Amino acid sequence: MEKNGQGKTSLLEAACVLMRLQSPRTSTRSDLIRFGAQACVTEGAVGGRKLRVAQSPTARRVAVNDSVCPRAGDYLMQSARVVWMDHSDMNLARGGAEHRRRYLDFAAAQLFPEYLNALKSYERALRSRNFLLKRDAAISWRQVDAYGRILAEHGAVIRRCREDLIQRVQEPVTAAHLGLSAGAEPGAVSYLPGYPGENLEAALLEVRDSEARLRTTQVGVHRDDLALTIHGRPAGAFASEGQQRTLCLALKLAQARVLEEAQGEPPLLLIDDIFGELDKTRRQALLAYLPAHGQKVITTTFTDWASETGVGGLVYEVEDGQLKERGI
Amino acid sequence: MPALDYPAPIRELILQMKSLPGIGQRSAERLVLWMMGRGHARAAELARALVQLEQRVGICSECGFFIERDSACGLCESDKRQKTVLCVVEQAADVLRLERSGAFSGLYHVLGGRLSPLDNITPSDLRIRELAARVPALGVEEVILALSADVEGEATSNYLADSLRPLGVKVTRLAQGMPAGGGLDHVDEMTLHHALSGRRAM
Ligand SMILES: [Zn+2]
Repeated sequence: MEKNGQGKTSLLEAACVLMRLQSPRTSTRSDLIRFGAQACVTEGAVGGRKLRVAQSPTARRVAVNDSVCPRAGDYLMQSARVVWMDHSDMNLARGGAEHRRRYLDFAAAQLFPEYLNALKSYERALRSRNFLLKRDAAISWRQVDAYGRILAEHGAVIRRCREDLIQRVQEPVTAAHLGLSAGAEPGAVSYLPGYPGENLEAALLEVRDSEARLRTTQVGVHRDDLALTIHGRPAGAFASEGQQRTLCLALKLAQARVLEEAQGEPPLLLIDDIFGELDKTRRQALLAYLPAHGQKVITTTFTDWASETGVGGLVYEVEDGQLKERGI
Repeated sequence: MPALDYPAPIRELILQMKSLPGIGQRSAERLVLWMMGRGHARAAELARALVQLEQRVGICSECGFFIERDSACGLCESDKRQKTVLCVVEQAADVLRLERSGAFSGLYHVLGGRLSPLDNITPSDLRIRELAARVPALGVEEVILALSADVEGEATSNYLADSLRPLGVKVTRLAQGMPAGGGLDHVDEMTLHHALSGRRAM
């Protein structure tokens, strides 16, 4: 707990970076470094292993048990899985598709070892392809198509992983949503692919005319989305704020279930300041639904709710960037 | 009074050294001071070598590999090499890597880089026109693309395959097993040997 602005979110973020080498809110690493500082070192232990991430503005070095991992993939395999929850989860229901794709990416990267590489290659090829579409008055389709084939190759991997993830997540989402809404509201999620058919290269050929006009890549997994529904109706347009919040929580809880099933152990839950904004019923339902085993780190600005719901665990206070243990 | 610094020629050389890949200010200074050792003898040796480089080394207008100026290309002019198979690589150093693997006895074509629109490298910056001319001129039956296994390398391979297809030549690429994201310089000779013998059609 803390007064606002004392750094509890940074603490959770550091844990997230240490486990997954990415922040839940930024994609550029240098954002993590304290303004004016040269570098940033994070250390911690998980499952008996000592993890260490050293980040400078230009380079990152990661180590497990003091031996440097040249490949990020090897490091991530030895680290813990993470689920991040904060108030911006509301964007899953209310925000643009990029928020739902980030949900897919954050979870799929932890489930499928091939995902992150495919995603990075896809994004790189997409940038080049869009640049080529914009650059010349007469588009050089041979160059554009050279990248289209790469999009198709990596896009197929990304789609397969996302489909698989959503298939695994569907049932736990509905279950968690029923639990959180006291059995009143059936919520569901499904995958909306960003290109028709099985073959992205063929789909790109189909939209050639509109690409020539709009000068940007019209189909592909960068246009993927999720359909969220409550009572079979789109949650973004028809649900109340409370219902949307419940569904977004359910999506994150389901992510935790899926990671636990795949990994055999529950992920680390990093929960930033969401209990204050829930009503008592949802709060209790959420606490009851969190995985019983496994570590949860919860931040909050006040602890009344914690004594009211009888949540156990250690309580620390953050003041002026310092951490102090304290009784509940 | 201006702050004390090295005399101008030293500063100039430090500047030159710093423009080399992987050399920063401190390494540049250290290198320059080292060269002035032994009564400038090291500097003289280096100067001689640089002049030779400029005067005696040229590039084969056919394959793009280095030659001694005014002498025949050891690769293109050799009658021991198979002239119907052409292996396309990004840079001259890749030729030596493939040679050392011992898996290839055809001719080479050095592209001089790979396509990268975001870095402003377009087909006209690479030796692609030369490649398209060599294929019919030599009667090439198979072109092997041995480029990096990253996005730029793959895109270049795709572009070359599309450009060569109308010429009716068979186009293949190195087999999988090449590390994703790496160029030929990341591969040991054994892997290169396997990648060459297991190449697949594009
Ligand atoms: Zn030659």
